[in-house]
Amino acid sequence: MKKVLLAFSITWSLALTGVAFAQAPAAAPAAAAATIDAGTVVTGVSTPKPEEKAAGDPAGTLTGTAADIPLGDAKKGLTVGDLASMLGQNLIATNFVWTLVTGFLVMFMQAGFAIVETGLARAKNANHTMMMNFMVYGAGMLAYWLIGFAIQEGGVGAVANLGGTAPLSSEYAITLFGKSWGLFGQKGVMLGGATYDVGVLVMFLFQMVFMDTALTIVTGTAAERWKYSTFLVSSILMGAFTYPLFANWAWGGGWLQNLGGNYGLGNGYVDFAGSGVVHSVGGVTALALGIMMGPRIGKYTRNGKPNAIPGHDITMVLLGCFILAFGWFGFNPGSTLGAAANGNLRISSVAVNTMLAGMAASFSGMLYMWMRYGKPDASMTGNAFLAGLVAITAPSGFVSPMASVVIGLIAGVLVCLSCEFVERVLKVDDVVGAVSVHGTNGIWGVISVGLFADGKSNYGGAWNGVAHSVTGLFYGGGAGQLIAQLIGVATLIGFVFTMSFVINMILEAVMGQRVSAKAELEGLDIPEMGALGYPEFVLKPEAAIET
Amino acid sequence: MALVGLVVTFAGFVLAAASVGITSSNTGRLGMVLVGIVVSLIGIMGVINPAYQKNAVWKK
Repeated sequence: MKKVLLAFSITWSLALTGVAFAQAPAAAPAAAAATIDAGTVVTGVSTPKPEEKAAGDPAGTLTGTAADIPLGDAKKGLTVGDLASMLGQNLIATNFVWTLVTGFLVMFMQAGFAIVETGLARAKNANHTMMMNFMVYGAGMLAYWLIGFAIQEGGVGAVANLGGTAPLSSEYAITLFGKSWGLFGQKGVMLGGATYDVGVLVMFLFQMVFMDTALTIVTGTAAERWKYSTFLVSSILMGAFTYPLFANWAWGGGWLQNLGGNYGLGNGYVDFAGSGVVHSVGGVTALALGIMMGPRIGKYTRNGKPNAIPGHDITMVLLGCFILAFGWFGFNPGSTLGAAANGNLRISSVAVNTMLAGMAASFSGMLYMWMRYGKPDASMTGNAFLAGLVAITAPSGFVSPMASVVIGLIAGVLVCLSCEFVERVLKVDDVVGAVSVHGTNGIWGVISVGLFADGKSNYGGAWNGVAHSVTGLFYGGGAGQLIAQLIGVATLIGFVFTMSFVINMILEAVMGQRVSAKAELEGLDIPEMGALGYPEFVLKPEAAIET
Repeated sequence: MALVGLVVTFAGFVLAAASVGITSSNTGRLGMVLVGIVVSLIGIMGVINPAYQKNAVWKK
């Protein structure tokens, strides 16, 4: 019995010891992450009573409350999931509205371009010049809807600010030097199929108005002698192929923007709002046409000395410059594609950079002309203003206000020097100075990213897939970014110019680019358009031009 | 001559774009890109433009 009791005691002792050990508080487990189930019902939120709302809401305190949040399950009531969904909708809706409204501003720039160009042309060509700027909108949009958008953005992938744009998911690429080189997109032809998507449509509108800016630039150089039918075909081809191809390489997932990820060149080719993609593409195409078409009759003497051919309405020109500057508040800040999240509050910085550069350039251009020629020339001051805006377009998202002023000051003088060079050395007749405003200063803008980007911007932690802020040479970024920008410049000068020239050479052979000498001397309004721009005015005969 | 000029212009672009694959040195790449840009500019201003200037309307 004693042995049994002893065994029993030992057993129980061991058992109790084990229990004791088991009951000893274990080391506190790692605190589980707090979670809230999406189906959790939110209670205690006060909402206005129906009779209160029926009495009217002059103070606005009863409108826009929790009662307006769509419910996933009306029987259950407001849940955490409903709140999360509403936050997501609000974020994307904010970005949609921002991108669309800024796109509307860019569309309005067509009016600015129209009156700048018409003002710088002679009165006998007013109808023709205005009609080119009017229909370039439709011609470009048609081409872009048909195929241009697909080539440019068909493989851009997810654009987070617009809710993903998932259907734009097919980029044709080749393998070169061991890396993938994206060449063109393959989704979005006529916005059909899965690309009939609210996010994709926002992207289409915004990108389309940028494309049209590039097309309209060309009409300025070729004014006063471009056949209207050839202008239409040339613009359609540019909107369908030339512009979208370079834009894909820079913005749509193509090889230029991936120079950073593939070859360690900074963040790849960076162009915030299009000094290169829009303005330089337009400028080099304008140069191609200017060379091909030759100067207006009377522009040069037999010795090659240029004659000034003043425009007919400088007030239109300067008013047009202001309209363009207003539209540029959509062009540059809108290029964030959003106003919420992902560093998009930098829209204030982008907008201020834009206005400072334009201001600085207008001063430097005006003062240069004043010192050189004794008067503050109005048309060149307007062109200098535009040159500053063009130059800041690429760096506007990445630089400081101080750098913006420097970029603008340089642009204002550069455009004057470039105009002189194009007119006197190249002997290319550029009616409005588009090659110098958009081509030369577009390239300056591209280069200035590689110099002045200060590394302070942070658009969601990466740019072009490279996880650091865009930083130029002067701010410790090294030469990589600058090299990427210069490769972009080489592509603009070497590839885009060549493509534009070849396309227009074919058009020259098939349908001719230039009107007859008789039509040109008479003015294009009657021969090309069938009506004068100013039918009730008696146009004075042109003064004899030195030949 | 204009076609020759176009080939020269395009060749400048090819040189610049190929720089990333030909060398991994940024100095080398910078040099090749700058040479490429100059070659393209020669093509445009030194070959294509003069070819078209021969028949310029002000010379007739």
